[in-house]
Amino acid sequence: MAEISFPLPDLGEGLIEATVLEWLVSPGEQVERNQPLVEVETTKSAVELPSPQAGKVVRIYGGPGDKINVGEPLIVFEVPDNTAGIVGTVPKEEAPKRRVRLSAVLDED
Amino acid sequence: MSGRHTGEQHSHTVEGTDPQLYVQVHEPQNDAGLRPVLLLHGFSSSSKLNWEDSGWLTALLEAGRRVITVDLPGHGRSGAPEDMDSYSPSRIRADLLQIVFDAGARPLRDGDPSSGLDVIGYSLGSRLAWEFGATQHELVHRLVLGGPNVADPLADFDLIAAQRYLADGTPIADESTAGLLKMAMLLPSNNIFALLSLVEAIKTEPYDPAEAVPHMPMLLVAGENDDRAASMPELAALGAKAGGMVEQLVLPGRNHTNAITSRAFKQGAISFLGV
Repeated sequence: MAEISFPLPDLGEGLIEATVLEWLVSPGEQVERNQPLVEVETTKSAVELPSPQAGKVVRIYGGPGDKINVGEPLIVFEVPDNTAGIVGTVPKEEAPKRRVRLSAVLDED
Repeated sequence: MSGRHTGEQHSHTVEGTDPQLYVQVHEPQNDAGLRPVLLLHGFSSSSKLNWEDSGWLTALLEAGRRVITVDLPGHGRSGAPEDMDSYSPSRIRADLLQIVFDAGARPLRDGDPSSGLDVIGYSLGSRLAWEFGATQHELVHRLVLGGPNVADPLADFDLIAAQRYLADGTPIADESTAGLLKMAMLLPSNNIFALLSLVEAIKTEPYDPAEAVPHMPMLLVAGENDDRAASMPELAALGAKAGGMVEQLVLPGRNHTNAITSRAFKQGAISFLGV
């Protein structure tokens, strides 16, 4: 198994941080891609972030009221080795809806 | 998740001029066979901010609901007409009626769960939904009103002060005006002058919930830290007095801005409308 960490994505112009409102998943839970992960609030609005990845949640960062900077770790998933690399998973049929993309920071190993 | 959807600037005119409203109809992958849901966003927001980014659209589609979103004039991807009339609440309600009809909504028929229309509004969208429900009782099945006002915060908006501020930076004395304008200016996509036209039009038709009261079942929702939570019972009393069934939901720890993403709000609405 491999771990993939996702940072808080860029949420739009000039926003450098967001406050966690509520986590919708917890460690140990298996989540699907695009499943709602967490509600966060910025100075402009509240948004729900969908999961960029299917996998088992290993760690989540920040509880309700905590601020997280854009680029800092938000969540870590455990995925089978063969899905962590370039080979990747078969893309789902539907196009991702959001403009906001989480990008992977792969562990160096 | 999202299935087929179509987006367009609505062009079926009611009053002779094109309101340039941006309408999208979102089809669920597995249709629950229930009536469509119309979503009405708040002042200075948009369908994208209020309903998509907040997770509402996904949640409703997953519940098998067909969803109609409309950006209010001067907001989101709708146009910003120059004539004041395009922004008046009565004109917006007339355009909404045409839009939902064009999207396939049909008057309620006994025993047909696909007939009629459910409406979810937030803030200014709740005001429009309240009035729409009160005037379209043959069509509207149930209402969910988030962050609902009993009086109109926009009616006291100091337009002259706002225009002075925009012209030369003269500070705005009225706190509510300054706050609303600040909120409106936070989003680069907002057309400030169109938003001021909307305020001006609203001032000519201020909100009076007692004037026309919806009779259909209503769910009122507000964050615990939103002042509107305290005045919700007044709206509930109006609805109950008119003979409607009214439920209230207060979201712990939430305010007017962050109530919108609340799971409890979404689940409450979906189950209230799922009949």
